[in-house]
Amino acid sequence: MRRAAPLLVGAALLLLLPLGAIEPRAWLTLTVAGLAMGMLIFLVASGLTLIFGLMDVLNFAHGALFSWGAYAGFTLAVALDARRGWAAAPSVGLNALLLLLAVAAAVAVSFVLGVLLERVIVRPVYGQHLFQILITLGATIVLEEVIRVAWGPNDQVMPVPATFQGSWDVADVVVLRFPAIAIGLGVLVYGAVQWLLTRTRVGLIVRAGVENREMVQVMGHDIHRYFTAVFAAGSGLAGLGGLMWGMFGQSIRPSMGGEQLIFALIVVIIGGLGSVTGSLVGALLVGLAYNYVAFLVPKAAIGVTMGIMVLVLLVRPTGLYGAGK
Amino acid sequence: MSAGAAVTPVQAARAAARRDRWRAPTLYLRVAVVAAWALLPALGPSFQLLDLAAKIALFATLAASYDVVIGYTGIVSFGHAMFFGFGAYAVAVAVGRLGAPTYGHLLLGFFAGVAVSAVVAVVVGAFSLRVKALFFAMITLAFAEFALILAVQWGALTGGEDGLSPKLPGVFAAGAEGVLGLSGRLVTYYVLLAMCLALFLLMSRFVHSPLGRTLQAIRDNELRAEALGYRTFVFQLVASSFGSVVATVLGGGYVLWVRYVNPESALGVPIMLDVLLMVIIGGIGTLYGGFVGAAILLTARTLLPNLRGLGGSLVAGSEILQRLSERWLLYFGILFVLVVFFFPRGVLGTLREAAARRRGPATPRT
Repeated sequence: MRRAAPLLVGAALLLLLPLGAIEPRAWLTLTVAGLAMGMLIFLVASGLTLIFGLMDVLNFAHGALFSWGAYAGFTLAVALDARRGWAAAPSVGLNALLLLLAVAAAVAVSFVLGVLLERVIVRPVYGQHLFQILITLGATIVLEEVIRVAWGPNDQVMPVPATFQGSWDVADVVVLRFPAIAIGLGVLVYGAVQWLLTRTRVGLIVRAGVENREMVQVMGHDIHRYFTAVFAAGSGLAGLGGLMWGMFGQSIRPSMGGEQLIFALIVVIIGGLGSVTGSLVGALLVGLAYNYVAFLVPKAAIGVTMGIMVLVLLVRPTGLYGAGK
Repeated sequence: MSAGAAVTPVQAARAAARRDRWRAPTLYLRVAVVAAWALLPALGPSFQLLDLAAKIALFATLAASYDVVIGYTGIVSFGHAMFFGFGAYAVAVAVGRLGAPTYGHLLLGFFAGVAVSAVVAVVVGAFSLRVKALFFAMITLAFAEFALILAVQWGALTGGEDGLSPKLPGVFAAGAEGVLGLSGRLVTYYVLLAMCLALFLLMSRFVHSPLGRTLQAIRDNELRAEALGYRTFVFQLVASSFGSVVATVLGGGYVLWVRYVNPESALGVPIMLDVLLMVIIGGIGTLYGGFVGAAILLTARTLLPNLRGLGGSLVAGSEILQRLSERWLLYFGILFVLVVFFFPRGVLGTLREAAARRRGPATPRT
């Protein structure tokens, strides 16, 4: 793996450099938080990058789907908690079930919305970048405003199952529980997406579609069905990201998707359009750098993500893993 | 050109355009609009109406400057409001933070704003346009968000969330005497109008110049323009920077008129959406569409609160309906999607298409 060598060196440098300025305990906490944040951004960015890579659609509605996922999971979690008290219950099983159901609700709602969006408003404007951007922007406005109408414009407190609150003590080191779960979930999703893309027939066709859409059509595959599937899957990932982000911060608000979209876009640009691995690397880079800098120089935190993006674009205009499409 | 021996198609088209210059009905329409705006104060309108007229002129020009980027060059920027905000903040800071306000400070503000905008526009363009015009949308969005956060955080300079309300010099100050029997407010109005008109003519010249035609060629077929030997990157960079600088000057003009600036009103997403909507409603790639869009949108915005009060009293019982009547942005969003879907060419574009159909297919006008 000679290609991975510079990456490993870079990762080691990034992880170890802040140790000079931060004491080890705080460093570990920040690292865990940074990895968790990175993984959550990755959930959003991976869907965005796949949709762009395969369909050449810049989907600005992705952020709105993120919010919808969060609100769908929130509604179910609140209902279950109010009726049966599953979130506050001291039972690990019930807590986990609540989380799973909330995840299922978030993914299902954003998946269905993704199918609708693709079929109704994105399909008529394939190949017209300007109109894709405009129409998905319009959809974002509408989706976000509908959230404000249905749930109200104010912040809501997200119930977090008791099991996943607080922290574990592992060898005298405080490991926050929810970030740990988020990291695990991120690894799981990355593995699943990679497996789907590289080991299955569907993934083969999708990857071929990224390379050459016409050829895939000529080979007799209905590319539009794959488009819908990828769009909906990406939307589902955005919804999942929204729910997890809401639980991570323990609050949700209608504009959360728009804010997250900026991060996701930066990550996709850093990683390279169309590359899932690029998104993962970019997301972790942004998550870690953001947390370290937020600890050291709080006001510069937003600037550092922009700085990374500018730096990457200077060296590699197509992003770290971009194919230069 | 010797006795019409070798007339290129472009020269023939130009000659035709020159011949028709005084016969085009739209010319008189344009002159009439300018005259209406210039004579409006003579009718002694309420301040609300004058304010509306000034803002329509300003935003029509802003929308046109966005149209230069999005419609004529074909690159989507989400940073246009940011450049507008640069101008607004530069003028407000120069006038409000450097001692007693003078015209010199005002001029300095405009120059500083233009300089900052030009540098940022070139840097952003150099990063993003090298790869793909789509990158431009994403990177400008990120930059705009960054600028907004910076304006809120850097309170010592920008006044943070509250913004700045600087004292303006001379005739622009609140309650100033003015000159030639006009009140200070009216002088400001005419200065603003002259500024908008000058910028509009400048942009019209820009898009109809050989440079503008090259831009349209790049927009329509980038590969072909490149193959013809044009350095598309440089052209796109020039066009986006030009549009940004015009927006900056208008931002300064906005401060002259409203006398305050805050992140929400000058840099925020709502301004960007407004300008985008104006261009789309009016007609993308028409320049004058911005005027139609601004007139429709701002008039609706001014009248809407009355309607909203009415709606609120009608549906007082239900909370969901109450919220529905408050979310005007929702209807804007729906309107936006519908316009993009059914009238992708906007009001002016659709009208021009209809006019072209009536004239018959045999008059290809360039």
